Amino acid sequence: MSAAQIRFATLWRREVNRFMKIKKQTLGAPLLETFLYISVFGAALGSRIKELHGIEYVVFVIPGLIMMSFAINSFANNSSSILQQKFQGAIQDQLSSPASPLELLLAFSFGGFMRGLIVAGLTFIAASLLVDLPVDHILVLVPSLFLVGFFFSQLGVLTGVRAEQFDDVAFVQTFVLTPLIFLGGVFYSATLLPQPFETLTHFNPIYYMINLVRYGFVGFTEVSIPLSLLALTAATAVLFAVNLRLFARGYKLRA
Amino acid sequence: MREQALHIEDLEKRYPTGVEALRGVSLDIAPGELFGLLGPNGAGKSTLIHCTTGLAQPTGGAIRVFGHDATGDYGDARQAVGLAPQEPNLDWFLTVAETLDYHAGYFGMPKAARRERTDELLETFSLTEKRDERTRTLSGGMKRRLILARAMMHRPRLLILDEPTAGVDVELRLELWHYVQRINQEGTTILLTTHYLEEAEQLCDRIAFINEGQIVGRGTSAELAARYGVASLEDAYLALVGRKELSRSHAEVIAP
Repeated sequence: MSAAQIRFATLWRREVNRFMKIKKQTLGAPLLETFLYISVFGAALGSRIKELHGIEYVVFVIPGLIMMSFAINSFANNSSSILQQKFQGAIQDQLSSPASPLELLLAFSFGGFMRGLIVAGLTFIAASLLVDLPVDHILVLVPSLFLVGFFFSQLGVLTGVRAEQFDDVAFVQTFVLTPLIFLGGVFYSATLLPQPFETLTHFNPIYYMINLVRYGFVGFTEVSIPLSLLALTAATAVLFAVNLRLFARGYKLRA
Repeated sequence: MREQALHIEDLEKRYPTGVEALRGVSLDIAPGELFGLLGPNGAGKSTLIHCTTGLAQPTGGAIRVFGHDATGDYGDARQAVGLAPQEPNLDWFLTVAETLDYHAGYFGMPKAARRERTDELLETFSLTEKRDERTRTLSGGMKRRLILARAMMHRPRLLILDEPTAGVDVELRLELWHYVQRINQEGTTILLTTHYLEEAEQLCDRIAFINEGQIVGRGTSAELAARYGVASLEDAYLALVGRKELSRSHAEVIAP
């Protein structure tokens, strides 16, 4: 391995090591939360709603839950890891090393991505044991999930770098992401909403991500798949470029 | 001309708040030298160190470490520097051994070399028994030793010690002095900042005084005292930072 590869592998290993050391909090809690959603919305509501657009209600909901767990865990990992390291000063050890801004950004990004992937993967396995979950369009599902994970991973990096206190991270997660995800159609179809809420939903970027993942699993979508994929790819690339610029400038990282 | 371990030229650092922490600092440290940088709080010592190690971005001037640019194409310069910061900045999630192993990984050291060096430094700094303990459980003295071991992990040619003995007891201070002298004798160049004048006097080959972001005097301890016509390094320091009235010899003269 070259020195650059060793640097990147170590930076990435540190990120994975961090969340594995507190896995009750970083893996266990999100899994329990998702299980509770499936129980409440699947067993309780599902017994009354039965089907949405010809799809069993619990099966309609699960793709959104998988996307949600990927997104929130990718975000939470990076935002809290970066802020914690800034708070402790431990990030100085990485910043004073020969690692380039790209190596640092990729390592943080893949750390959060990995946590999101593990939680989403375990959610998928657990859901598959409970219900008959199809995978209709794997060629849409895999890139969509990966893009969602990478997008929220970048958003987590951006939030962690900008944050000066833990409240700043909690604010984004509680007051921005959670409402957007819940109002993005995880638990319902936007077509069931009265106006103006149906139209408003189309301004929510999470709505398109949920539809991409839902299409990958059950083959149902309310939006254009190619356009949504294109928009998500562009948004992820822009966010990555912004973060790379911030790391290169040392924004709120170097004095 | 012989290549300097650290060459700083007209270094300036102005923070976005408008504070000028460094105002045209120039400094040369020769390979193998143990160099002391002394100055009051807020004089610019830590800013100078941060600019050298990439933790702060200079707004003017140049820094070269063993001939390598430390600000533009910084890879080789940072590879040559080890930093033991003033404030313990250990990662709470890591164990003692992981702290050393990860640091070496950040500097591109292969696994087998990391393992060997980790064992060696844990032994040197009497931390072997603590190798699997989380860093947050260590005592203050152990944290200091670990920070010094971490700085040395990738075998830097220039070791920067920012107030390594601040707030430590006498026993640990002497222990750290012993380590510092040994590392220096083995060929590592050392830049040491300290508040303790006797520490600088005992350990350092040459000393520079920094005040209000400028180097206001440099030389050996004896040279500085002679140049300013005073009896000791302490008096030279007080004269240079403009606090002559605090001199103990001055107090003895005016006291009846």
